[in-house]
Amino acid sequence: MESQGEKKRFGRLSQWFLRKQESSVILVLILYCVIVTIVNPVFISANNVVNILRSTGFTLIVVVGMTLVLITAGLDLSVGSVFAMGSIVCGICCTAGISVWLSMLIGTGVGLLFGMTIGFTIVKTGIPPLMITLGMQYIGRGMVSAITKGVPVYPLPDGFTSLEKISLFGIIPIIVPVSILIAVAGHIVLSRTTFGRSVYAIGGNQEAAKISGINIDRTKMIVYSLTSALAAFSGIMMASRLGSAEPSTGTGFEMKVICACIIGGTSSFGGTGTVLGAALGAVFMEVITNSLTLMKISVYWQNLFFGVILIAAVLLDQYKRALMMRQSVKVKE
Amino acid sequence: MQNPILTVSHITKRFTGTTALDNVSLELYPQEILAVMGENGAGKSTLMKILSGIYPYGSYDGEIKIQDTLCRFKSPAYSEAAGIAMIYQELNLELDLTVAENILLGRYPKTKMGLINWEQVYQDAGAALERLQVKIDVHAPVRSLSPSMQQLVSIARALYCNPKILILDEPTSVLTEKETETLMQILHGLQKQNIACIYISHKLDEVFKLCDRMVILRDGKWISEYSKSQGYQSTRIIEDMIGRRLDVMYPKTKKKIGEEIMRIEHFCVQHPFAYGKHIIEDVSFSVRKGEILGLAGLVGAGRSELVSAIYGLTDSIGGTLYFDGKKITHPTPERSIRMGMGFLSEDRKKNGFVWTMDIEQNMTLAILKEISQGGFINQSREDKISDEYFDRLRIKAPDKKTLITSLSGGNQQKVIIAKWLMTKLKLLILDEPTRGIDVGTKAEIYKLINDLAAQGIAVIMISSELPELIAMCDRFIVLGKGVVQAELSKKDADEVSIMRAASCT
Repeated sequence: MESQGEKKRFGRLSQWFLRKQESSVILVLILYCVIVTIVNPVFISANNVVNILRSTGFTLIVVVGMTLVLITAGLDLSVGSVFAMGSIVCGICCTAGISVWLSMLIGTGVGLLFGMTIGFTIVKTGIPPLMITLGMQYIGRGMVSAITKGVPVYPLPDGFTSLEKISLFGIIPIIVPVSILIAVAGHIVLSRTTFGRSVYAIGGNQEAAKISGINIDRTKMIVYSLTSALAAFSGIMMASRLGSAEPSTGTGFEMKVICACIIGGTSSFGGTGTVLGAALGAVFMEVITNSLTLMKISVYWQNLFFGVILIAAVLLDQYKRALMMRQSVKVKE
Repeated sequence: MQNPILTVSHITKRFTGTTALDNVSLELYPQEILAVMGENGAGKSTLMKILSGIYPYGSYDGEIKIQDTLCRFKSPAYSEAAGIAMIYQELNLELDLTVAENILLGRYPKTKMGLINWEQVYQDAGAALERLQVKIDVHAPVRSLSPSMQQLVSIARALYCNPKILILDEPTSVLTEKETETLMQILHGLQKQNIACIYISHKLDEVFKLCDRMVILRDGKWISEYSKSQGYQSTRIIEDMIGRRLDVMYPKTKKKIGEEIMRIEHFCVQHPFAYGKHIIEDVSFSVRKGEILGLAGLVGAGRSELVSAIYGLTDSIGGTLYFDGKKITHPTPERSIRMGMGFLSEDRKKNGFVWTMDIEQNMTLAILKEISQGGFINQSREDKISDEYFDRLRIKAPDKKTLITSLSGGNQQKVIIAKWLMTKLKLLILDEPTRGIDVGTKAEIYKLINDLAAQGIAVIMISSELPELIAMCDRFIVLGKGVVQAELSKKDADEVSIMRAASCT
């Protein structure tokens, strides 16, 4: 009797788990971690885990915004350029003697303005986000090159570079709690607020959302502004870590961010996805980079792995969806 | 009697959960025009999709014979080769290609070099149009043609491969009365050229005039058959189609019609496709509390465009809107909902619901502000209100967390109606509320609409099914050529008077 009840509970639990959008990435992530640990136990040492989380942090901050963008069935290819712009603006400001906090605020603010421009253009022209943000990617990178003439802003004041070295309990770098905090906030906003619900509705069916009284333009403006602000902020943190604001920093960053979101189960067609899933996707990508080194596989293989896993994640997601559909049909009968 | 050219015997087609066709048999004789009639969901389209090879051999039970050969269509190409040509309800032409290119699309004659022989293309296209005895410039882009001309182009396209059997799926839904007349003459002409037709429509008058015989389907089953020589009786045919007596469908509720809630004056709306043309030129009317106002008119009369503009989904070019005594400038859906308007759109799949969301989330989409505090959704309030309406509308689903896409059309429509019932509703605009919905749910929706009116809510209803409109509404505004052609009270309105006004004769 008892074992039967247990079985039933397990069945329900696994059902619940399968229905969760993040389930596939969690399963694969755990499986992968186990394999890597067997090959090289150093993988789960505290130092290495902190290392992974630290490098994930920079991606994770932007992933939160990108998840929102993707859920509205949009796309933002400009985050890499905004990442560089944030770090350059902030770097210039603090070398000019402006206080560190104000410089960071200015850097993030410039990102926000850039994002508002993107959002405004998308909403008012109706041109697909792919085109607009591709253009904005060049514009952003161009602005950075023009300002710096290709020369890094270096050296940065100690007050700024010491920021990234602040750590929690002596071992956890500040970027880890900051990025997790942003991710948690993003998750709550997306899952519990009317704004989050609007984001899902717009991606699911923009026309229906409009008829239901959802302000499409405002929601999209907020989503793109937020993403750019986060990208600029992430760039600032990176400059603080490197001790130098590089004009070429963040090149190709947007693809990494988008890849993390998709691996985390965010639909590229819009309407579905969670911040938690995307965050796990970001962790997964960092785990791969890290594990390749630990397993003594050349790091040049990394991109190949990313590509395979991206496609595998989408396939797995599709299979899961088909499974769920079949279940819902069965329930109907 | 002659041997049938097409024999369909004992066809059964199942989809997950439903049987779309249940042991249906019919014959088509040479030179015959056979009508296949039935309500939406009766199985007409499924049968045609089997005949045209969209549902391949093996996905259904039963057999199809052309003359005496058994047909196993793997794809539409096989069906075409066997001599069946299909003309779909939605015109599937490439609007930016020329008439000739459309007629020969995918079958272009080649020169020795392997390039397209354009001279031949125009010649063949001209010949195909010749058979229909119509004059259309083969070089003209299809976009520049009227819907009826486009319809003729698709018929010419079908005729190009010399079919023995022509299937037309509601060909007149985009045509005016006069154009319908022309089409009928053309079909009679084809009959003489030894082509048999299957004609799908639910317009009785057309079928009476055109077809030699009719087969009626209901809920996937063969119900009855009538032939022209015996004479057609419309009441019996309708009752066969809906499967019950006419009077039960539309329940009557006692109600009082109150004061005016909304009025429009001199409304003018841009044509959706033709730039600079107005689909609505100058329309004024009002609707009162508790009244069900029917908007009638032919397809293309601008009914949907008018209500979209009233709701604020699209912009109007001119005119004023008064709601609840106040003049409203620049309505948007957001503002309209706040004032107490609801809008059920014509195309449920396109813009009725959000298909990535479950029932509950779709229901509460228009009241997110009401169920939230400081931007955060109050989960228990959302639960409570969605539970209430889930039960009240008797939505058939395992629970309210079911994805809306796994529901039947009727239940999806109930979810959308629930969405509007949750708002502080004063005026509900219903654009084709029963399209693609099974008969049972239709009756439930009629009752719901009547209950709303009894509570003093005003309703504007658009429906292409005239009997439904006539039975439901208290007053009728008939649109045509961009203006109000007639305003009819309940006692003056019948199919004839409305159709006469709508076709501007």
